[in-house]
Amino acid sequence: MIKVNDLTIRFGERIILQDINVEIADGMWTCLVGPNGAGKTTFLRALLGSQPYSGSIVDNGFEVYRNHDRNVAFVPQHPQIPIGMSVSEYVMLGRSKRDGWGNESSKSRHLVADILRLTGLFGMQSQFVSQLSGGEMQRALIARALVQEPTLILLDEPTSALDLHHQIAVLNNIELLKERGVTIISTMHDITLAAMYAEKIIVMHEGKVLLDGPSDQVIHSPQLQEAFENRINVFTLDSGRPVIIAKKDLPN
Amino acid sequence: MRAKRSESGLPPIWNWKITAISLALLFFVGILAVSFGPVSLSFQKILRTLFGLDGGLTGQERTLLIDLRLPRALLAALVGAALATSGAVYQTVFRNPLADPYLLGAAAGAGLGATIAITNTGANLYSLLPIFSFIGAILAVLVSFFISGKFFAEPNSLLLSGIAVGSFATAVQTYLQQRNSSSLRPVYSWILGELTVANWQVVTWSAIYILIALTILITVSKQLDGLMLTDEEAYSLGINPNKLRIIAVIAATLATATAVSASGLIGFVGIVVPHLVRGITHRVTNRGLLTIALVGASFLVLADLGARTLLSPAELPIGVITAFVGAPFFLVVLRKKRLVTK
Repeated sequence: MIKVNDLTIRFGERIILQDINVEIADGMWTCLVGPNGAGKTTFLRALLGSQPYSGSIVDNGFEVYRNHDRNVAFVPQHPQIPIGMSVSEYVMLGRSKRDGWGNESSKSRHLVADILRLTGLFGMQSQFVSQLSGGEMQRALIARALVQEPTLILLDEPTSALDLHHQIAVLNNIELLKERGVTIISTMHDITLAAMYAEKIIVMHEGKVLLDGPSDQVIHSPQLQEAFENRINVFTLDSGRPVIIAKKDLPN
Repeated sequence: MRAKRSESGLPPIWNWKITAISLALLFFVGILAVSFGPVSLSFQKILRTLFGLDGGLTGQERTLLIDLRLPRALLAALVGAALATSGAVYQTVFRNPLADPYLLGAAAGAGLGATIAITNTGANLYSLLPIFSFIGAILAVLVSFFISGKFFAEPNSLLLSGIAVGSFATAVQTYLQQRNSSSLRPVYSWILGELTVANWQVVTWSAIYILIALTILITVSKQLDGLMLTDEEAYSLGINPNKLRIIAVIAATLATATAVSASGLIGFVGIVVPHLVRGITHRVTNRGLLTIALVGASFLVLADLGARTLLSPAELPIGVITAFVGAPFFLVVLRKKRLVTK
């Protein structure tokens, strides 16, 4: 259980996050949804522990700031592409904290090989990371997170750069993490996809939490309209699955 | 060179054969370098002399080897190792495949520091020259940081301000040179890069500073791979990215400054060697740094051999040789693109 109390973050005069109070249950997928500039990425950094904040974020009894005892994986929206690094080396970095930097236990090597198979990257292990396509890169990032065997994984817009086909593939890969009992917190632009995969949605707007609850409730809440300035329509498919699309007045 | 696969189906961590081959190469190139010259020395006699066996060189030949050629080859090896390693580290820290000591203003700053020392004292400053160079270099790097304003956030703006600071330092250095025309010639030949000043005193002091820097870099090299990721990823893998960067930049700058103070400005080693090693081994900083150092050493020993012998008895500045070999090599690399960006 992660408890966030009165979390406030300022960059100089600018308030990025203000009085955030939420609880995130273990082993669930929570999605942070909101327009650009809502403070989602900063919130993820604070949850990681690398971002100074006021208030408190307590993860299973421990304050998270600069707490290196936790094992948290982070998947950035815009990864840096290392020069001259092979895919297997890149994924193996996920083991650095367990094996010690520069070491590779034989257990790690087998795990990395397994995860590469699982994520469909086996066969590309000797390629340079820079040769991967966008979808493959995203899978490599998730593979690295999987071998890290974290208790919590933070994903910043894991699907934003991908076409629909690859979005589904990556989201299914993230579900692999959930099957292993990992708590997942991700930001996502696409609220329909968020509703489809996440159990809980937190809607943010200008540094504040507008809505926080189980996906179904949040999707059908009238406040969701407010968060998106009344510019979305929520439909429900025959299967009961919600679909959110942008509102556009059609010409007569 | 594709590494052999192990049972897990992954290439092995690091093929130690490659490091061993680089070491053997350095040894071979070193023997070659001390053997060739206006007076050729026999391999066998050189080896016997070096290992203190009977039947080694005697008289003038021995003096030639011990007092002239050996310190020069050792200095070339040290400088080559320093430039190649710090180039590789700068490329990692600034996440830019084209970063090298020269683009960041470090080398120009070191040059300015050394020029100030030479023009103001004229004395032999073997022990202090690296310190002056280091102060010049670290100041140049710091000024580059503050101009770019964003520290490590935007590697490219840092490189641009590094180029500006480097040009400025070079301008001041040229001004100082012209004002002190009595020391113009030594400074000028030093700028072009040469190892003719090599003697045991220079070698000893350079070795101390460069080996300290390389030891630090090779010790932290295991974590340097983490700097190729975003800061959040590095943090999540247990690294304090800013602390590591500061350590790495200081050590790489010390190595660069010492190399510059001992041998002047020698270009291209810092870019060519790391890319060559990465391209051959398919491995990055973590496992490759020692090999990069060894190959850099061999490269410069070989370049110095060329500098001494191509126009014999006259000498070419070694910077001319490295640029002559390095620039076309670099263009081929750029054209293939494989080694540079991938």
